Amino acid sequence: MNLEWKGHEEVGAAKDRLWAFINDPLNVANCVPDLVEATVQDPHHFEAIVSVGVGPVKGKLKLKIELDPQADGNRMNMKISGGGLGSVVDLLAGADIKDNGDSTTSLDWSGTATMRGAIATVAGRVIDAQALRVITTTFANVREKCASSSG
Amino acid sequence: MSTTEAPSNGRHAMGKSMKRKEDARFISGRGRYVDDIVLPNMLYMAIVHSAYPHAKITKIDKAAALATPGVLAVITAEDLAGVGLAWIPTFHGYDKQMVLAVGKVLYQYQEVAAVVATSRAAAADGVELVEVEYEQLQPVVDPFVAKTDATLVREDRENKTNHIYHWEVGKRDEATAAIQGSDVKINERVYFQRCHPAPLEPCGIVADMNPETGCLTLYMTSQAPHAHRTVVSLVTGIPEDKIHVISPDLGGGFGNKVPVYAGYVCAAVASIVTGHPVKWIETRTENLTTTGFARDYHMDVEIGATKEGQVTGLKVTTVADHGAFDAAADPTKYPAGMFGICTGSYDFPIAFTELDAYFTNKAPGGVAYRCSFRVTEASYAIERGMDMLALALGQDPADVRMKNFVKKEQFPYASPLGFVYDSGDYHTTLQKALDKIGYKELRAEQAEKRARGELMGIGLSTFTEVVGAGPSKHFDIMGIKMFDSAEIRIHPTGAGIVRAGTKSQGQGHETTWAQIVAEELGLDPQNLLVEEGDTDTAPYGLGTYASRSTPVAGAALAMAARRVREKARNIAAHVMEAPLDDVEWVDYKFQVKGVPEKTVTMKEIAFAAYTNPGPNEPGLEATYYYDPPNLTFPYGAYIAVVDVDKETGETNVRRFLAIDDCGTVINPMIVEGQIHGGLTEGFAIAFMQEIAYDAEGNNLQPNFTEYLVPTSLESPHWETDSTCNPSPHHPIGAKGVGESPNVGSPAAFVNAVMDALQPLGIKSIDMPLTRDKVWRAIQEATAKT
Repeated sequence: MNLEWKGHEEVGAAKDRLWAFINDPLNVANCVPDLVEATVQDPHHFEAIVSVGVGPVKGKLKLKIELDPQADGNRMNMKISGGGLGSVVDLLAGADIKDNGDSTTSLDWSGTATMRGAIATVAGRVIDAQALRVITTTFANVREKCASSSG
Repeated sequence: MSTTEAPSNGRHAMGKSMKRKEDARFISGRGRYVDDIVLPNMLYMAIVHSAYPHAKITKIDKAAALATPGVLAVITAEDLAGVGLAWIPTFHGYDKQMVLAVGKVLYQYQEVAAVVATSRAAAADGVELVEVEYEQLQPVVDPFVAKTDATLVREDRENKTNHIYHWEVGKRDEATAAIQGSDVKINERVYFQRCHPAPLEPCGIVADMNPETGCLTLYMTSQAPHAHRTVVSLVTGIPEDKIHVISPDLGGGFGNKVPVYAGYVCAAVASIVTGHPVKWIETRTENLTTTGFARDYHMDVEIGATKEGQVTGLKVTTVADHGAFDAAADPTKYPAGMFGICTGSYDFPIAFTELDAYFTNKAPGGVAYRCSFRVTEASYAIERGMDMLALALGQDPADVRMKNFVKKEQFPYASPLGFVYDSGDYHTTLQKALDKIGYKELRAEQAEKRARGELMGIGLSTFTEVVGAGPSKHFDIMGIKMFDSAEIRIHPTGAGIVRAGTKSQGQGHETTWAQIVAEELGLDPQNLLVEEGDTDTAPYGLGTYASRSTPVAGAALAMAARRVREKARNIAAHVMEAPLDDVEWVDYKFQVKGVPEKTVTMKEIAFAAYTNPGPNEPGLEATYYYDPPNLTFPYGAYIAVVDVDKETGETNVRRFLAIDDCGTVINPMIVEGQIHGGLTEGFAIAFMQEIAYDAEGNNLQPNFTEYLVPTSLESPHWETDSTCNPSPHHPIGAKGVGESPNVGSPAAFVNAVMDALQPLGIKSIDMPLTRDKVWRAIQEATAKT
């Protein structure tokens, strides 16, 4: 099952602050809803255990997340892969960051995911909406936590 | 004797709707299934499955699972290889299959590892913690793509191709020429989708190796306990006398419980290694995603006919999707089963059929789901084809069938594809169906409705089955001839025990087997205990599937009973002090010829066998191994009447009439129940069920929220009746019936819906005919006009 999403956030923080925020794996991990546990391995990699409840599929997914900041400082790519519950998830996401010139920043994000196993089939009818909720919540959390963070 | 009807048919026990002896046990919750078996110090096993349909396994890390409280072992293919069980032969022995994935996974949900623990919960926890790393490979899920060999499913095989085998029968050139030279010809593809038997009780096992005796007891969901015992012995090297297979009550099977599955093997290995009993019970998802599926045949049907409607030739060309292993359940010499029955009930002067099978990244199988081997596919092809021919001819489908039926006087009828049909009267059976349902009136009603733009359809299916595998000169599984057996012991009081090599999964053998023996011996069927499913006590048999129990084991029972009767006649001669030649069996008693008042009952002879046998060997028992001289050919005429809602695509099956001819009927109530069950399954296949895979290889129906099972709310009301043309070569004339309704009904449903949609120019929709699929077809057809 292949899924695609995209969205937009206006972040009440300057571009540099947002860039610094999303380059910290712990910050990003804490923006993921239903996070159970996060382990930062290095500045670009962390592992997260998230609880999932999609239709009859309830349990935990163990995900490996790789942050790939682009050299120009205008885009962050993210690769997420992992599984659990007899399922595997491979997600590629990216966010384009644009300075609005008024101490706010535009964040245009998009993502594609491939899912296999119980999540794709048992929860197939509702997974698109559920996944969209997770990803929009994640970026909404980035917006809120970044704006409220010091600095 | 408990019966639901008076014994007015002149028979002692057969032909009566005796209530099922086994039902008291089931209704009161005293059935004993595999999961009810609890042994001291028993361990539990759960299985790790792959979420990928095609991937290399780069690493299996057991550490976290083994650290889980209660987890004792994690078994992988590497461990099984150490005991020579990484691979096992498939059903007919032409291929081998992985027990647990060896190096790579070949289909989604394939078994990768087995976790053994002290509780079911601990085993499940352990499964979650086995870390498997994969390197994804491109899956191939379409057999027409598999044909290109662009993606190779089975790198382990010597032949680097996805093509498994080619099979053909008949005369290709003559059939092609006959069709090409015909006034009217049709050439249509029909697809019988991948579906699943989905018994309510999934598969399971309790394996119990006794380290002291070296005896391995397997309580397992088996439709063929003796065959499984032999297979276990052959692949493990454990002497067959040290293997005891017990198949307790089964909650349905429908062919699904014939193959050997990974869970069985792993549980047995786990028990041997640990010295503890090990239980493995499948989940519903495991059952639907890994155990034997059915059908998945893409069939191109070509029929030629004169403009008057007489058929001139038939060709059926099939592409079969076998999944990752060639695990189809077919007798050794018949890789495509009995697909040669595709000429159906019709007198084709010439015919040809060929089939090519391919590997894909889908679960393996091809079991005989409530049908003799591949008969349902063949029946669907010809019955859809005959309707398409009628449409091309502009003739009524009933008329076209009547014109082309094999005539009663042609039996025994040699079909152009090699079968010799034993008996039948197709014209009478269809005429009975037409009269009973009011066919002319329905066609008149349909014409009125069509004038109003309403969609009403009438669908026929006049199928012929071929069952009762089979004669030993042609039929074997892994070399074991497909005979079956019966053993009868009559006790001094006239009660007795009847044992057979078959295994009931709900068919009611405990009742019907008793009725057959009681009929032959004049005894009370209530006092004949029937036992099956225990290899230590039952005589060797090939089991119950493919409608073979009554045609083969039923015959063995009758013949064993006749052996008992012959011995009893000797004792009767002694008891009545008459020459043996003067003792005859009349009206269910022994009688001295010409002296009707001098009689003795079987019950009296039973007592004498143990108290006063005279010069005869004491006791009263017999065993018979029956090797059938031919197959049997049950048939039927089914008519479905449907209304299709043009706005929603919803189909309402308004009526369904099934006239079956299964020869001699042993228990009419049980036959009716069998037909109701089979029709309900056929209805589900036609309208609801498909094991479909998306392009990524995801199994889209891995549970009962997606793979739908009809309840009494969805199921139509079934009207049933019968004709009776007994099999001339079967000792009691029975042909078998349990699978006929599943074989015959899908085509009737689909023909009815296509008939309803005919005014819109819609000729074909693949099953299942879900409302959205029908709605889309209506929308597309309407948009064109």
